[in-house]
Amino acid sequence: MKNETGGVRVQGLAKKYRGGVEALRDVSFRVGSGEAFGLLGPNGAGKTTTIGVLTTTVRPTAGEIEVGGFDVARQAIDARRVSGIVFQDSVLDRGLSGRANLTLHARLWRMPRDRARARIDELTEVMGIGEVIDRPVRTYSGGQRRRLEIARAVLAEPRVLFLDEPTVGLDPTIRHELWSLIGDLRARDGMTLVLTTHYLEEAERLCERIAIMDRGRVIAMDTPAALLSRLGEEMLEVDGASELVTQLLGDRGIIVADVFRIGSTITVPFRNGDGDAAVRALRDSSLPIRSISVRRPTLDDVYLRLTGASLKG
Amino acid sequence: MQLLTLYRRRLRLLAGNPRELIVPLATPVLFAIVIGPALKKALGSFNPHVDYLTFVSIATVVLLVPLNAMFSGLSVFADREHGALRELLAAPLPRWFPPLANVMATLTITTLQVTVLIVAAVARGATYHATASGVLWFVGAVALLTMIYASLAEVMAYRLTSEQEYIGNVPAIAIVPWFFAGSLFPISVLPKGLAIFSKILPGTHALALMRHGLTGGSTDGLKAIWGAHAGAADAAASFGIVAVFTVGLLLMSARAFRRSAVA
Repeated sequence: MKNETGGVRVQGLAKKYRGGVEALRDVSFRVGSGEAFGLLGPNGAGKTTTIGVLTTTVRPTAGEIEVGGFDVARQAIDARRVSGIVFQDSVLDRGLSGRANLTLHARLWRMPRDRARARIDELTEVMGIGEVIDRPVRTYSGGQRRRLEIARAVLAEPRVLFLDEPTVGLDPTIRHELWSLIGDLRARDGMTLVLTTHYLEEAERLCERIAIMDRGRVIAMDTPAALLSRLGEEMLEVDGASELVTQLLGDRGIIVADVFRIGSTITVPFRNGDGDAAVRALRDSSLPIRSISVRRPTLDDVYLRLTGASLKG
Repeated sequence: MQLLTLYRRRLRLLAGNPRELIVPLATPVLFAIVIGPALKKALGSFNPHVDYLTFVSIATVVLLVPLNAMFSGLSVFADREHGALRELLAAPLPRWFPPLANVMATLTITTLQVTVLIVAAVARGATYHATASGVLWFVGAVALLTMIYASLAEVMAYRLTSEQEYIGNVPAIAIVPWFFAGSLFPISVLPKGLAIFSKILPGTHALALMRHGLTGGSTDGLKAIWGAHAGAADAAASFGIVAVFTVGLLLMSARAFRRSAVA
């Protein structure tokens, strides 16, 4: 953990909406200054509510929350001043030009005019939206709007940048481009990054540490590599005859204690290169198996193992 | 500075949507230049002391203000659905700034529209006798009434979930009170119960003040509210009532915004 004044601290966070829905239950984590931290989970896991609390648009039922060294309950305006956010949906004045949207942000965040002008020029170039910046936002493509929103979020040089599913709904090419841009901006400005996503690749690519959320709780938190290492080096995936497959592997002395099942497919994590032996045993058997494959583990496997459900679902 | 930035933003967005500027103006201008003269022609002989054109043209301000405010309130829906409202919620500014900036922008648009309306009425033959203090009464009443309806529009827009629901409420809120405010006839001719109801409405007090201001200190409207001894004190009392409504609704709009902003 680095300098706390630029980071995020969440302790015992709970949120219960009117009507009794418990969106968050005893969520705790710390993000160090300059660290990139991901909240990973399926829809309804509580990621966006967490971001809402951190950006002061959701009032917590319980908990202590600090952003950039400021208590979000007692120093909400200060906490917002040191934060930037890219929302899940497009949040732009479509009748105004891209430049007008950026200028509005600069003034609300009280940037000196000269600094704002220079920063807008710099960011429009970095984000590749120089050609469209003076056009009304309603004429922008989805990718251009996202670039503009990212430029806006980092315009005032925030200590903490929140990205709430920043690439959802975008095509893979644009998604990869945005990942590069976000990575470059972070490397240049050194800001703390808190990202929510259900794209595993996005989390692995952008985040140094990840918290996996499920039904309002943090169920695992570590670096992507450490989370993946819990499942060993390779995964055996077998479609068909799942109970017989488990029994056969057990009979051959292959450890199947971590096996998990989705529908007719079972997934078996392997350590120590047992995968090849398992594949040979299954191919030699006469079990009614539709397909066998061996692959490297992913964060989805981690999530499946922890909850029995898929992140992608 | 931040408040001014929000105010300018709202004006730019309103200016980019001419429908919201022109439609509210259409009905009052029609009243001022067509219906007012027609009433003068048709009814003027019944009461030669009343110039119906002038009488109705001032009343149309009390129709214009709510209509304009309610149309401006529609922009809250646009802001919420397709605009930068959430960006404003994440900005480092007090939560009462955005609704106040919206009210200020509505006040500016209303000022321009009332000017157009008055010019149109004068061109059609309305005669006003206004002293400096009379203009102040008029301007003060228009400003407070605008803030009342702009705040009310904000409250409704933050609380209601759909534009359809909002638009469905516009006639009841913007038009019906106009008929009870003494717009087309003095409230003294209303049945007693309705006359009492009309005295509760801020539009009734605002209209009496506007007529007091633009017709050379005429106290007919104030007399109908306060009784035969109407004078400066009664004008101040009506102004006070409108001011109380204004402060109350401004506070309500700030509260409605905060409640809609924070889950």
